[in-house]
Amino acid sequence: MSQTNTADFTPTIVAFLCNWCSYAGADLAGTGRQQYPPSIRVVRVPCSGRINPIYILKALVDGADGVMVSGCHPGDCHYLAGNYYARRRFTVLKKLLTVAGVNPDRVHFTWVSASEGARFAQVVTDVTDKVRALGESEYKSRRGGERA
Amino acid sequence: MSVLETQAQKVRDSAKKLLADATAQTVIGYADEGVDGLCVPVFITDVKDVGRLVWNRRSVPNLASYLIGRKGKTAIVAKPCDARAVVNLIVENQIKRDDVHIIGMDCPGMTDAAGAALHACETCQVNTSPVFDERIENAEVKPVSPEKRDAERGLDENLARFTKEMEKCILCFSCRQACYGCYCQTCFMDRGVPDWHPESPDMGAKMLYHLGRAMHLAGRCVECGACENACASGVDVRYLIREVTGFVKELYGYDTGLSLEDQPAMLTYQPDDREVGFLGGEAHG
Repeated sequence: MSQTNTADFTPTIVAFLCNWCSYAGADLAGTGRQQYPPSIRVVRVPCSGRINPIYILKALVDGADGVMVSGCHPGDCHYLAGNYYARRRFTVLKKLLTVAGVNPDRVHFTWVSASEGARFAQVVTDVTDKVRALGESEYKSRRGGERA
Repeated sequence: MSVLETQAQKVRDSAKKLLADATAQTVIGYADEGVDGLCVPVFITDVKDVGRLVWNRRSVPNLASYLIGRKGKTAIVAKPCDARAVVNLIVENQIKRDDVHIIGMDCPGMTDAAGAALHACETCQVNTSPVFDERIENAEVKPVSPEKRDAERGLDENLARFTKEMEKCILCFSCRQACYGCYCQTCFMDRGVPDWHPESPDMGAKMLYHLGRAMHLAGRCVECGACENACASGVDVRYLIREVTGFVKELYGYDTGLSLEDQPAMLTYQPDDREVGFLGGEAHG
């Protein structure tokens, strides 16, 4: 499975961040010179409710070691209710992934507001640690071959 | 006359009446015109064809999806699971309540060609229609057995089971075609842009398809077993969906297709929904 399960392994984590809170939170982490591991690949989405669960599956199947999803705190959605719908979807998706044998520590959901730059850095650090502990994704090898 | 034959006669009488007084323009039911005694769907529009309608232990297909896109009022011979599917289609605004006449059959459970009970029927939880316009009773239908959920497994066992089932799958999409709930005009697996469907039917493609479909059917599956009956490779297609549907029921108290008033669980929310599996939240049981 994984030969890279060492401290210097930097996992590839796809991070879906909502435009209004978490992306701005990531921005604040940057302008505030917060340090966090260079492991995330950010995909900016309008709202956490815009994230089709298939995006998360696709990221895993195409070889991401982990997926992180972050949106506005419940009650603070720019579109009023998008993150409430997303919350149900993510709850069910994580259960489904567990049933299908995907380690739940590969997929993380959380809320980060635009003012929580330090928290964003902390979340990325935590998520990276958890995914690093699991090593390289076992789903990489599930693909028949490399895709262009 | 057996109880089933009495039910079948009542279906024919009812169909004759519905067509004669123009309550319905079409009656969708079962005809014993398939292979190995398997009933096939039949669309009756004329009173003189009513005799083709049958009802037996091989009335297997779920007819609910034939209601989508129909013009005029349609009557449907519905097993309890089919009736739940019809209710869910109404709740999801795919069909109108006024356009459908549900002939709700009390169901003794369906069998395969050899006479053994179908997998879905063995664990049936609803054997009388929850919503109907007329009910055709069967005194021999017994109360359902208590719900059986798969035992919790460890992650390794989960992966082993998933791998075992997926290795059988050939991605023919029969389960999708048979499913009443898969009514998307274009399935995500058929789209070229973005290309969700990898070129080769490898593990990644199967994972994407089966998990994606399970997500789409979370809280929408009526447990009719049409998917597993359609599967040519003997995959337990429904096991992932069964798990998430049970989870949705447990977490949000929603059971599919039992009431015309309930909002489907994934189409609504509560501000204080539990955050199971979230970072720093409670873990999955």
